[in-house]
Amino acid sequence: MTRDVDPKLEIAVCLAIVVMCGFVLAEAAGIPPGYFEPLGSGPVPRATAWCIITLCALTIARAVPRLSHRRTTDDGVPERWLDAGAMFALTVLYVAALHLRLTTFAVMTSAYLALTIGLLVRLERRLLPWVVGVALAIGFGSQYVFTRIFVVDLPGL
Amino acid sequence: MGADLAGGLALLFTPMPFFYTVLGVFLGIVVGAVPGLNGAMLIALSLPLTYYMPTTHAVILLVSMYTGAIAGGLITATLLRMPGTPSNIMTIFDGHPMAKAGRPGRALGLGIGASLVGGLVAWVALLLLAKPLSIWATRFGPFEIFALVMMAMVLIASVSQGSLVKGLLAGLLGMLVAMPGVDPSAGQPRLTWDWYQLNSGLKLLPVLIGVFAVSQILKDIVELGRPVERMAAATRGILMTLGDYRRQAVNLARSSLLGTWIGLLPGVGASVGSVVAYTVAKNTSRHPEEFGKGSEEGIVASEAANSATVGGALIPLIAMGIPGSVIDAILIGALMLHSIQPGPTLFLTNPDIVWAMIAACLVSTVLMYVIMTASVGLVVKITMIPRTFMLPVIVVFCVIGAFGTDNSIFDVWVMLAFGVVGFFLERIGVPLGPFVIGFVLAPLAEAKLRTGLMMTGGSYWPFVTNPVAAGFLSIALLMLAWSLRGEWLAHRARLHDPTV
Repeated sequence: MTRDVDPKLEIAVCLAIVVMCGFVLAEAAGIPPGYFEPLGSGPVPRATAWCIITLCALTIARAVPRLSHRRTTDDGVPERWLDAGAMFALTVLYVAALHLRLTTFAVMTSAYLALTIGLLVRLERRLLPWVVGVALAIGFGSQYVFTRIFVVDLPGL
Repeated sequence: MGADLAGGLALLFTPMPFFYTVLGVFLGIVVGAVPGLNGAMLIALSLPLTYYMPTTHAVILLVSMYTGAIAGGLITATLLRMPGTPSNIMTIFDGHPMAKAGRPGRALGLGIGASLVGGLVAWVALLLLAKPLSIWATRFGPFEIFALVMMAMVLIASVSQGSLVKGLLAGLLGMLVAMPGVDPSAGQPRLTWDWYQLNSGLKLLPVLIGVFAVSQILKDIVELGRPVERMAAATRGILMTLGDYRRQAVNLARSSLLGTWIGLLPGVGASVGSVVAYTVAKNTSRHPEEFGKGSEEGIVASEAANSATVGGALIPLIAMGIPGSVIDAILIGALMLHSIQPGPTLFLTNPDIVWAMIAACLVSTVLMYVIMTASVGLVVKITMIPRTFMLPVIVVFCVIGAFGTDNSIFDVWVMLAFGVVGFFLERIGVPLGPFVIGFVLAPLAEAKLRTGLMMTGGSYWPFVTNPVAAGFLSIALLMLAWSLRGEWLAHRARLHDPTV
C-alpha cells in the first residue's frame, strides 16, 4: 500500500524548507546576545535551522540519484489532484469570505459545502438534492448549535 | 492510591463524566473505523469544545476518544481491508482473510476481546508505574529534563516510518515552528518578522488541526478513487469464550506487555506496538504458516498490543510530561490549554486530573468492549457515509475549531498553511508524529537548557558529569548510531540488489 516518493517533489520541498531556514537565520542574526544568561534567544533557533539545512541537504543528496529511475506506483489507482487543488482553492475563498465578513457564517458555509460536495461528487444529478440538503443542514445547523448551545463565536457576520 | 483511584472512579460514574466517557468511546470507535480519519484528528477537532468544560471532564472525554479510536480501526481492517488507523495494519493480514472465509464475527470478536485484555494489562501498568516514576522524575533538574527530551526526540525519529533523517527533520521542523514569539526569558519578540500576530507564537491548536486534519483531508481527496472492498458485519461468534481466552493466554499476556512497554517509550505509538507483537507472535507460533491467512493468533497479538499502547503511553505523559505517542502530545496540549502544566509535579498539583485520567483509561477500555460488541453493525453503517460528503463537512469543523482558539481568523489561515505543509511533508515521506511532538516539547527543552546554563554559568559539563543526563544522552546517541547502522546496511543491500 506504499507509494514511491517522487524525488522531484522531495527535492522541491527540501529546497523550500532550506529557503525558510534562510529566512530564520537572517531574522535570528538580528537577535541581541543574552544579558542575564549565557545563551540568549538566538543560538537555539540558529542551531536548529542549521541542523535542518544539513538534513535537507542529506535528503536531496539521496534523492538526486533516483531522478533517473522510473517511478512505480503501487496499485495504479488514479490520483484526484485536480479535485484536491480545486477543493483547497474553494477553502481559501471560503476563509477569505469569512475574513471579510461578507455575510453570515450559515450562508457562507452552506454555499461552500454545496460547491465542494458538488465538486467531489462530480455534479452527479441524482445526488444534487442530497448535496443541497446536507449543505443547508450543516451550514444552518452548525450556526445554531455553536451559537445557541455551545455559545462559541463563529467567523462571519 | 486506593482512595485516590476510588475518587477518580466515583467521579467517572457521575452523570456528565459518564456521558462524556460513553460519547468519547463511541466517537473514537466511529472515527477510528472510518478510513482516512483518525484519533489525532478527532481529538484535535474536539479540543475547542473542551474549553468550556471543567478540566477533569475534558481529559475524561479525550482519553475515552483515544481508547475508542485505537480499537475502532479493527472494524474496517477486518471488513473493508482498510486499516481505520495505522495501528490496525497488522490486523488486516489475518482479520480480513478470516472474514472473507465467512467468519467476520469471529474475526471481530477476537480483536475486540484482545483489545479489552491489552487495555486492562496496560491500565494495571499505568496504575503501578505512573506515581513511582513521577516521584523519581521530580528529582530531575534542567539538564536531566533537556536530555530526556532529546532522548525522546531521537527515539521518535528513529522508529518513525521512513528514514531516520526524515524523522529527525520532522522533529526539528516542529521545534523550529514552535520558536517564534516573545521569548519568555528576554521579554523580546523573536522570529516574528514584525508581525504582531506572531508575538504570542503559533498556537498549538491551529497547527495541530492543520497538520493532522487538513493535510489528511487533502490526502483523502487525492486518493478518493481507491476502490473499497466492502463486507457486511456479522455478529455470530463475536464473543470470545473462556476457552478462547485460555488458548490465547500466553499470546495475550505477551502481546499486551509488549504493547505496554512500547507505549511507554516516548513517542513510539500503537502501530509499532502492533507490528512488534505480531512479529513475535508469528516467530513463536506453532503454526507460523497460518499467519497472513486468517490466523487467530495474529489478530489477537496485533489488537492486544495496539490497545495496550494507550495505557502504556499515558505513563510518561502523567509521570514526566513527555508524550508516549502523537495523541499524547495533543493531550499535553489540551492540559496546557486548560492552564495545567504537565510534568512530574502533576500528581501533587492536580491529583484530581491525574486520577480522572487513570480512571477514564479503565472505564473507557471496558466501555469500548461493550460498545464495540453491541454496535458493530451501526458503526459499519456509519463508515459507509460517502467520503465525498464527509470531507468538506470536516473542513468546516476544522475552521470552527481553529477560529475558536482565540476568535482570530489569523489562526484559520495558520491552520490552512500547516495543512499544506503537512500534506507535502507526508507526501515526501516525512512523518508528522515527530513534527508535532517536536512542536510541543521545544519550549520545554529550550527553557530547561537555558535555565541549566544560567545555573552553571554557561558550562555544558553537567551533560557529562550528571549520571541521569549523561545516561539519557548516551541512550540517544546509541539509538542514533543503531538507526544509522540499520540505514547503512539497507543502503548497501540496495546497492547489491536494487529490488530490495
